[in-house]
Amino acid sequence: MESEQTTASKIAAKATRRDTTAVGEKSHIAMQLTDVEAMYGNFRAVNKVSLEIEARSVTAFIGPSGCGKTTLLRTLNRMHETLPGATVKGSIEVSGVNLYGSSIDPVRVRRSIGMVFQKPNPFPAMSIAQNVASGLRLSGMKANKKVAEIVEESLRKAALWDEVKDKLNEPGISLSGGQQQRLCIARTIAVEPEIVLMDEPCSALDPLATLKIEELIGELKTKYTIVIVTHNMQQAARVSDTTAFFNMGPDRGGFLVETGPTTKIFTNPTNKLTEDYIAGRFG
Amino acid sequence: MNQAPLPNIRLDFSLTPHDIRRRRVNQIMLRIIQAAAIVSVVPLFTILFVIFSKGLPQLGLSFLLNGPLEQPTGIVNAIQGSLVMTFIAIIAAAPIGIGGGIYLNEYASTRVARIGELFIDIMLGVPSILAGLFAYFALVPILGHSGWTGSIALTVLMVPVVMRTTQEVLRLVPAGLREASLALGVPLWRTTIFVTCRTALSGIMTGVVLAISRGLGETAPLLLTSQTSNDVSINLGQPMNAMTVVIYQNATSSDPQIVATAWTTALVLFVVALILNVSVRFKTVNNRVF
Repeated sequence: MESEQTTASKIAAKATRRDTTAVGEKSHIAMQLTDVEAMYGNFRAVNKVSLEIEARSVTAFIGPSGCGKTTLLRTLNRMHETLPGATVKGSIEVSGVNLYGSSIDPVRVRRSIGMVFQKPNPFPAMSIAQNVASGLRLSGMKANKKVAEIVEESLRKAALWDEVKDKLNEPGISLSGGQQQRLCIARTIAVEPEIVLMDEPCSALDPLATLKIEELIGELKTKYTIVIVTHNMQQAARVSDTTAFFNMGPDRGGFLVETGPTTKIFTNPTNKLTEDYIAGRFG
Repeated sequence: MNQAPLPNIRLDFSLTPHDIRRRRVNQIMLRIIQAAAIVSVVPLFTILFVIFSKGLPQLGLSFLLNGPLEQPTGIVNAIQGSLVMTFIAIIAAAPIGIGGGIYLNEYASTRVARIGELFIDIMLGVPSILAGLFAYFALVPILGHSGWTGSIALTVLMVPVVMRTTQEVLRLVPAGLREASLALGVPLWRTTIFVTCRTALSGIMTGVVLAISRGLGETAPLLLTSQTSNDVSINLGQPMNAMTVVIYQNATSSDPQIVATAWTTALVLFVVALILNVSVRFKTVNNRVF
């Protein structure tokens, strides 16, 4: 029964992906960025970015190295400020609340806005199951459901269950790179976030593992809002509904060049810079 | 099949005088560094040989279980003293060292961390007799020559060992693990304990054992603080004997019987330290997590 559901959602996901050209029902805005600036000490890595991120869809950040796309992604769940000397200006609103408001606890923000990193990073001292449950266990949260259920559900959502169901107690780092990354996705969605940020999630993976993750992203967007940073333009074209193109300015700070539906950005971009980048003339 | 004729490749592999000289130098240098490696372990085996040959004949259950005034004579009070004082010292030094190491690596600003490291390095380099001197002038007037002052002197020497090791193994924990935990909405303090320290646990324990080894092996600070005693007692309020102190005192005696006691005590001390180190090595190698 579970597998039927998975197949169904797979088909649904594929259908939606094909439908991205037809601008369907305008879904509501998950995040509203206004004049967001990210600093490392005195260096401005991201310059005044204003952007809307649609709910239940995939938004891709693309652009050449050093254009601040990863930095911007990390401001979205207040991970940027965990680095020494890093600060953020501007506002990022989720359902009308500024994540950088003075009364907002970053720990709560990160609980609802999860993140998957470039390099798969399962906790080495934990088993596969413990890794999935780690978000709940480590925060000391009392789960409503049984932990075993959450583990299974999350692993199924991350399309990893069938591969690991017989070895849940083996260490997470015993898995292959692609499986580790899906384990990290399972770990992220186990705490039931609304938004999932992905920082080049496939750049350390081989093409087959990449394909699996991309399929998974297509499934996940029916339940989550996804923002993905990628170096791979084909990947952006394949997985995303909206694309935001960034570039590095003369002051070496990144800025937003343009944003729009992925099909438009890749076939008929407004800005010459975008066109040149897409065509591979720089970057 | 219109294959072009293969070109004739002619390579000359005959040795030139330069090659011969290089090979000879290579051989000589190899022998020299081999000799260096062998020389470095010669003292270990010499020490082992002498300790065993001179210490073993006296070793018996009575040596381990009798006091110094009993017949046959034994060192039970020195064994007790060493273990009790080291135990008390590590109970104090482990939390201070681990806590301090965590603070320096996980919470302190870069500048504070750098200054902290400098202080630890200075403390690590302080000759142990200075720790004894400190305890002698600062603590003996209050607590007297006692097990307590001995323990405190040892604590002073152990803290930097634990702290340095803790800080260094925490630095080895990949930043990605902390980030993964923080990004799951886990508070920093829980991340620090359950992810960072959990991952580095075996390394931290190694630091603790290193500190214990150091405590067991110290002589100078104990001479100035706990001094020596013939009583078989674990009363920390009194002067206490320690194995290292027994070795120091007995080795200089004119009575060959007493000198032999020093060798046997050295053997016991060596075995205790060896067991500690080897057990930790096995534990850390098997549990290596990063």
